[in-house]
Amino acid sequence: MYSKISTHFNKETADPRYFQILYLGSFLFYGLCFLGWDGDAIKYIAIFASAIVTQMVFSYFTTKQYSSVKSALITSLGLSLLLKTGTIETAILASVFAISSKFLIRVNHKHLFNPANFGIVAAILLTNDAWVSPGQWGSSVLLWFIVGAGGLMMILKVGRIDTSITFLLVFGALLFIRHVIYLGWEPQVWLHKMSNGTLLLYAFFMITDPMTTPNHIKARILWSSLLGGALFVLSSFFYVQTAAIWLLFGVSLLTPIFDKLLIATKYQWNNLTASTINKPNQTT
Amino acid sequence: MKKVILTLMAIASVGQLAMAFCGFYVAKAGADLYNNKSEVILVRDGSNTTITMSNDFSGNVKDFAMVVPVPNVLDRSDIQIADRSIFQMLDAYSAPRLVEYYDYNPCGLPMPSMMDVSMEKESTTKMVTYTSLKDNFKYKVTIEAQYSVEEYDIVLLSAKDASGLKRWLVDNGYSIPAKAEHVLEPYIKSGLKFFVVKVDLNKYNPKANGGFLRPLQIKVKSDKFMLPIRLGMANSVGEQDMIVYAFSKRGRVECTNYRTIKMPTDNLVPTFIKPKFGTFYTDVFKNEYRKAGKNAVFLEYAWNVTPTFNGMKCDPCVGNPPYTREIMMAGVPWANQNGVTTFFTRLHVRYTLDKFPEDLFFQETPNTEMYQARYVITNPATGDLSCAEGRVYQDELRLRRRKELIELASLARWNTDSYYDYIAHGTDKVRSNKAIETDHNSKNINVPFWFFGKGDTPHKVLFLLVFGMLIVYSLKRLKLTLVKG
Repeated sequence: MYSKISTHFNKETADPRYFQILYLGSFLFYGLCFLGWDGDAIKYIAIFASAIVTQMVFSYFTTKQYSSVKSALITSLGLSLLLKTGTIETAILASVFAISSKFLIRVNHKHLFNPANFGIVAAILLTNDAWVSPGQWGSSVLLWFIVGAGGLMMILKVGRIDTSITFLLVFGALLFIRHVIYLGWEPQVWLHKMSNGTLLLYAFFMITDPMTTPNHIKARILWSSLLGGALFVLSSFFYVQTAAIWLLFGVSLLTPIFDKLLIATKYQWNNLTASTINKPNQTT
Repeated sequence: MKKVILTLMAIASVGQLAMAFCGFYVAKAGADLYNNKSEVILVRDGSNTTITMSNDFSGNVKDFAMVVPVPNVLDRSDIQIADRSIFQMLDAYSAPRLVEYYDYNPCGLPMPSMMDVSMEKESTTKMVTYTSLKDNFKYKVTIEAQYSVEEYDIVLLSAKDASGLKRWLVDNGYSIPAKAEHVLEPYIKSGLKFFVVKVDLNKYNPKANGGFLRPLQIKVKSDKFMLPIRLGMANSVGEQDMIVYAFSKRGRVECTNYRTIKMPTDNLVPTFIKPKFGTFYTDVFKNEYRKAGKNAVFLEYAWNVTPTFNGMKCDPCVGNPPYTREIMMAGVPWANQNGVTTFFTRLHVRYTLDKFPEDLFFQETPNTEMYQARYVITNPATGDLSCAEGRVYQDELRLRRRKELIELASLARWNTDSYYDYIAHGTDKVRSNKAIETDHNSKNINVPFWFFGKGDTPHKVLFLLVFGMLIVYSLKRLKLTLVKG
């Protein structure tokens, strides 16, 4: 009896999305309760409700598999954490666009864009009412530690650690060369830029989506280096404050090309156990 | 040798020169807090930024000098002289406010509801010194432009390296703080120019403008929407306050590399803070500043001030709202265009070198939600309260006053023990008004003992949450392995 329950329990928890939901959820809680974000409950409910409904509707017409509601939850959390809007309509629009993009914009049986990122871009472009607050997390070294440690655990499970590490290394190194070595700022300036909460969430949660990153590890390293390099150029020379969001949108377009050039098996959320996580080739 | 202050708005900070302090109009205990304050008006329109720097320099004008890093060489038309009154006007309009209400006497004729307001007054301090200019190319310094703008002599410099610029300034009689060279370097390498100002004594009339120098208003064009605060910190280790009055077409202006936090608002506070509202607000600010880890920007006011906008311009108004003329004076070119919104944001930042390693970067957001920092006192009903309703009222009053004291303790960290009379008698009798020293100078982040130290609750909660989750997760994984085994 115990082993039965336990097996069921473990099967469920083996899906890294549970951990992801819990983790992102705690950040939303933290932001709302302690960082003084505008606590407009209806807006958050609207984001979650419209994401789940959209996901169910699309699932009904396609796979009829409703376990993917977890993904809808993660997308809603991502939107709640990053997107700021003035009205509920905009929040719903972002949410519906985010989920729809998963089903409608597909290449090689993979969706092309990170859904939350797509929703944010759509809301900013289509309405005059949406924005991203890069400063909302502040820059605390401790936050860095916490986001980093938790994020690391999570992506170890998802198996996309290469993306985060490469991105942070490339971006961090370029930033260090430019600001500390060339311009002559103190290392604190670099540390302040690198410990920005939004950058870390982005590095650990947005660009590690197994569905929108290339399948092959070499391709992923190239892909995230490109992202880190481009983010450095846009933020240091063109002062685009929200460059990260636009870049991920652009770089996602390259994912199918990378997948074509370097072939590897597509990631599966459910077929995971601890032993197969790091060996995607064994999954079917 | 004369001293020069290098900063965006000449905030700076040299103690030896006289500093005009003009704190809260009732300030006593908190007067020293705002000593190092500057005010700046920012107008953002596409990639154009108009910056107006307040100027309360009150020393000998021949000692005045100012160095401001700017992104490009300014044309003569990009430099204006603004009216000093615009700062007073914007400050009076947007300052955190205390609102006063009166209870009705439930036993007698209702008193007319009155409303009164008081406000904190603010002002800026700054000082500088000045010298004559001398062309000299051995310093690798180029004079890109030179203008005489009424009483100011202005020169725009570009430099190849920091030591050259420093020597040029020193040889021309400017004394540069030792640490400034450090900060000049990155600015030069980023391609910034230097806007150097002194006063032309022949054109300066000490009798005009109450003896104050008039604010300079410059227009720069850059995708960077920022304020270079680092230069102003070159020779100061203490806390400096800056009030930013920002205008944009879209909505609120917020900081992108530090948190922008709203000040608490609409709190009911005891009536006895009325004569010392300045001290009260100073303590509230100090408390919020400490709670936020001393590295945040605070929102004190946000409102749609479009001249044609028919809604309320403040609630209640502590000063006249700015109209077309004032908004134009502040440097907003579109103020007289119909159908264009003008949104006003007041930000208050207290910065120190260790907590603000980077300059302040801003962005316009489409957020048009109105906001004001406002605190409310309610005066008790007077007269005979012996009727039944009157007794109920007195009970309610005691309860309300208890809550007001709790609010006071949590907002401003005042020790409310000595205010017991305030609840007990329902009167304004007060024994003492000692404010607690709120600044514990606690270093917030000091792992591993940080967790057991004071303050920084948000991070502790987050830490516990994540730590707890990691443990639960690890236990589950462990169980998985055991079951398998």
